[in-house]
Amino acid sequence: MRTFIALSLSSLGLLTAPFAAAQSRGPAELAPAAVVVASPAVEASRIGTFKQVEGQAWAARAGARRAAEPGAGVVLADRLSTGQNGAATLTLKDGTVLTMGPNTTMDLSRFQFDSTTQKGHVGLDLLQGTVRVVTGLLARINPELFKVTTPTAVVGVRGTDFIVETAAP
Amino acid sequence: MTFDHPLRFLTTPALALALAATLAGCAPTTRVTLLPQADGAASVVGVSTPVGTQFLRQPYQVATVGRQGKLDLETTTAEKVRETYPRLLALQPPAPERFVLEFEPGSSQLTPESQAQLATVVASAQARAGGEIVVTGHTDRQGTLEANDRLSLARAQAVRSLLVARGFKPELIEAVGRGEREPLVPTDDEVVEPRNRRADVVVR
Repeated sequence: MRTFIALSLSSLGLLTAPFAAAQSRGPAELAPAAVVVASPAVEASRIGTFKQVEGQAWAARAGARRAAEPGAGVVLADRLSTGQNGAATLTLKDGTVLTMGPNTTMDLSRFQFDSTTQKGHVGLDLLQGTVRVVTGLLARINPELFKVTTPTAVVGVRGTDFIVETAAP
Repeated sequence: MTFDHPLRFLTTPALALALAATLAGCAPTTRVTLLPQADGAASVVGVSTPVGTQFLRQPYQVATVGRQGKLDLETTTAEKVRETYPRLLALQPPAPERFVLEFEPGSSQLTPESQAQLATVVASAQARAGGEIVVTGHTDRQGTLEANDRLSLARAQAVRSLLVARGFKPELIEAVGRGEREPLVPTDDEVVEPRNRRADVVVR
């Protein structure tokens, strides 16, 4: 009975992903995360910073995937992802807080923020999984320019705390 | 992660396939849940698909998107959100801490009282996972907008240097100049107001 209650509350994204993960669960998951050394290129163009990281989480750029760790930077166009036991929180430069749940893939597709004028825009693409968004300065100044896109919908925000969950296409 | 998720019981491939097949017909592809804002302020989320837009205006309203872009509105509860998204709630960082530093008149030199606060700022940032410090310099409205942008940035950078000297990682400190745009005490243009010559420090 408990299972059916869960079905009614969850969407395809949460329901299907754990099965694939369960089949492939192996020793690799227990390996410690690699230590990431910040590169100068990241520092110059950093648009956000990882906070808490639990389990497996990564930031990928040009095909190279690095393990996430608190304090590590992310840049525009990074693809962020978490494993089946992973979760991670990061802040963007404008103070937006993004919390990714397990089995999540999200692209930092568009981000521009002028700290002096506080103008700019944010565009996130949630490909799969769950993300909680607590918006920062950008959504307060330019609400129409803060978007989260999933394979089936576009979410526009206005001074907000919300969760988006999406199934893999 | 704990393994008390109900799906933990469904571990055979046959069952997984059956479940996925069943769900593909009717389950939403995207769910958007509006949460209450920490300060209780009103907020709005619009969820758009090729067939329309659904607005969420009340906390715990949920927009669901079907395979063909069909939008439906549901209502959930705080308790159900905690059950469904435990990690999203658990990992939320603590609220940012704020400090105000003041400068000696017409300079980027901190007052002795404000210099004494720097150790607290660094300790606060170091206590956080991935802690960052954002220093935003401000000016009063005397002088041009451009000159005040430069002065406010110089003030922020002066504070940043002091924080770096205290051993905090440079890549985790941002210096921002807001010029005269955000006065603590609103005044007419060209009015001298010492209380507006300050740096706001946010530790997050």
